[in-house]
Amino acid sequence: MDKSNPVASAVKFRGGGFAPTPLRGVGALVFFALIAFAEFGTRSGFISALTLPRPSDVLLTFKELYTSGLLWKHLLPSLTRLAVGAALGVSAGICVGVAIGLFSLVRAGLVPVVAAIFPIPKIALLPLFVIWFGIDEGSKYALIAFGTFTPTVVATYGAVDNVDRTLIRMGQSFGLSWFSIVRKIVLPGAMPGILSGLRISLAIAIILLVAAEMLGAEYGIGAYILEAGALYDLERLFAGVVILSVIGVIVSATLGLLERRLLDWRT
Amino acid sequence: MSNLINRRTVLKLMGGTLAAPFVLKHAGAANRKIKVGALRFTSHSASFVAFERGYFADAGLDVELKFFQAAQPMAVAIASGDIDYAVTAISGGLISLAQKDAIRVIGGALSEEAGIDGQKILASDAAYQDGVTTPSALDGKSFGMSTAGSSFHYMGSRIAAQEGVEMKFKPLQKVGAIIGALKSGQIDAWSIVPHIAKPLAGSGAVHIIGNVSDYLPDYQVTTVFTSRKNALEEREMSEAFLNAFSQGIDDYTAAMIDKTADEDAMVDLIHKYVYADRERAKAAPSIINGTMRLNKGAALNMASVTDQLAWFQSENLVDSDISIDQLVDASYVDITGQ
Amino acid sequence: MEIRLEGVSHHYADMEVLRDITLDIPQGKIVCIVGPSGCGKSTLLRLIGGLEQATGGRILQVGDAPADCLNPLTYIFQDFALLPWRTVAGNVSLVLEDHGISGQQANKIIDDVLNRTNLQSFRHAWPRQLSGGMKQRVSIARALAVNPAVMLMDEPLSALDSQTRELLMDDLIGLWTATQFTAVYVTHNLAEAVRLGHHIVLLSRRPGRISDIISLDMPLNERHFGDPVLEAQQARLWTMMRDEARAADAELLHG
Repeated sequence: MDKSNPVASAVKFRGGGFAPTPLRGVGALVFFALIAFAEFGTRSGFISALTLPRPSDVLLTFKELYTSGLLWKHLLPSLTRLAVGAALGVSAGICVGVAIGLFSLVRAGLVPVVAAIFPIPKIALLPLFVIWFGIDEGSKYALIAFGTFTPTVVATYGAVDNVDRTLIRMGQSFGLSWFSIVRKIVLPGAMPGILSGLRISLAIAIILLVAAEMLGAEYGIGAYILEAGALYDLERLFAGVVILSVIGVIVSATLGLLERRLLDWRT
Repeated sequence: MSNLINRRTVLKLMGGTLAAPFVLKHAGAANRKIKVGALRFTSHSASFVAFERGYFADAGLDVELKFFQAAQPMAVAIASGDIDYAVTAISGGLISLAQKDAIRVIGGALSEEAGIDGQKILASDAAYQDGVTTPSALDGKSFGMSTAGSSFHYMGSRIAAQEGVEMKFKPLQKVGAIIGALKSGQIDAWSIVPHIAKPLAGSGAVHIIGNVSDYLPDYQVTTVFTSRKNALEEREMSEAFLNAFSQGIDDYTAAMIDKTADEDAMVDLIHKYVYADRERAKAAPSIINGTMRLNKGAALNMASVTDQLAWFQSENLVDSDISIDQLVDASYVDITGQ
Repeated sequence: MEIRLEGVSHHYADMEVLRDITLDIPQGKIVCIVGPSGCGKSTLLRLIGGLEQATGGRILQVGDAPADCLNPLTYIFQDFALLPWRTVAGNVSLVLEDHGISGQQANKIIDDVLNRTNLQSFRHAWPRQLSGGMKQRVSIARALAVNPAVMLMDEPLSALDSQTRELLMDDLIGLWTATQFTAVYVTHNLAEAVRLGHHIVLLSRRPGRISDIISLDMPLNERHFGDPVLEAQQARLWTMMRDEARAADAELLHG
């Protein structure tokens, strides 16, 4: 090699990957492919009717459910149970969570209690709730409320703990009242954590809906799914499950909207 | 009355199905190894007798009894090929599986019969004190059931229709939950086999207000069923099973109903399977209380089965275009009630 | 209004942080407190402002704060401490709301302080949209809004790059020249101390004691970047501090 004229070669690029980029439409494509596969499989017969329902039949079942008016008859009680139960559980959870975050005595008293009831499968308590709150709507509200309560408490006091202490010191240094500091600094500061906790709580509420409708529900999406399961009616079972999924997606989208509105200061 | 005990949830049902959806059994010669599903229930006594007294072995069947906690998974296990024969009540789920060509009913097992203690109609104490002393007073009351499309639903609905009353049906998934709800007055009424009904009534928390047989005489409560493949392609094996099963029925009936054979010996035999966790002295009354008519020769009351199918269809619980032939293979046993 | 410290000392558990600090903060002057890291200068500022209680000695407020003063002892923090969910105007109005000042009256004050800090066009911006220098200007504007008797400034320029720091020093000099506020200015940066301090208090390493107080007579508005007199003062301060700083640097944290 000539020392005065060394060979020049491009520096090798080695910095690629490890950076997820959003790819539009891929999710929808996967969905479509899975459904098309199920449709093709059930039509050609290599997936038996016992294994999986035909997607087009599920759609037909759904259409029937809609035209017969039964959809609303099942959907309205379920949505009411979700709304009332989750509203009770979430609001109680936020109050208790904020109290734990603010008061050492409440924290010392309640954190162990919350830790003790968090892992209890709430479904196991359903018979107890039936005795306490009656077999009608009371026990269903209670189950959903109880199920959403504990994750909300944990998310909320975690969020309050994570509020920047220097902001609180700042409030104190300007002589803000205790109530002002809670309302203007602690709560808004905890809001992102509370909202992301809400995502988990509301998903749990939807999961618990099926459990809540195990006992004594004549109408409701959960009751519909349980009935379809007992009847081994896969079309109805899947139609019901799809409805739950859609409810989940709508709840998630609504929360996303709420986050954008409440947390527009973030990004 | 096999579908009377715990029903599993949808998820468990699905799990059971998906676990082995394509398992198939291969045909063979004599001394076939087969699996028979059973619940630890007096109504399954024919299987226990045929097994214990060697009737299955005599018929060239090497039987393994598989015990289940509930009827629903048993039906699914037949559909998946994990077991070959079982006994259960006709339910919407069973009909649905028949429509999917998974199973066939090939015989009868348990019937209501006038003169033999059968299923009881129960009222909660609160409802009873409120005047529900006969089924005719059930108008506007709630009736417990495991799920829509269960045999409870069928019985309650037929009772209501004949009394001209309207009832609300409360799905509670499990027998334990129904008993709890009835005892605490959350529901008003229920119907159940005598060996559960009588101790409940004895405690005073509930009251017997009627017999199911008054409304559904000759009700074909449970049936023998197998996979469609066994029914169509394994005729020899299925007949051998039914013959041995029938011998079990005959022994059971002779001992427990006709009293022409040793009842104590029969109770001893059944006690090996049913209430085995209780001492014999305590188990015996329950076993005796549970005595019901098992169909001689596994005969099937087609009128009752047809009525049940029609009811499930009229309630829109199963497809309206399922024919009785899809559900029942009538070529195996005596058909009655036609 | 003046602040007087008499024999102030402070402990955290069994760690002595400050020992026998006696000091006057005269009205209308900026007193800079410098010292090696961990000498307790930020603690001293929190004691002066009442955010912590001294374990020994007395901190006195001499004379009354002016009648229109909403918050006599007002901090400016190193990390700005702006509420990210409030706009620039919202952050200023935060400290007015608790005094019942809202609407027209609040707007007047906000306009005034934003004008004084050249933030008028950022009125509706979110903190995340602002550079560090702008954020600290908002923090200063917020402090001005309560018309403080004494400003307690805790390393206010330390989170900024050196160019922004120069710009803000000019701004602070401009503000002081206009109103001659009283301030305690804590910094580890000797260049800031010689540019802004009428008096420079030199603390020893932990436990912090006053090792020297230097007074600079040059008017603030005549002190400029690169001034040889200031650089000589800065060099002198560094000579006095160097050994202490080295010893502090070599110390294990938390004993």
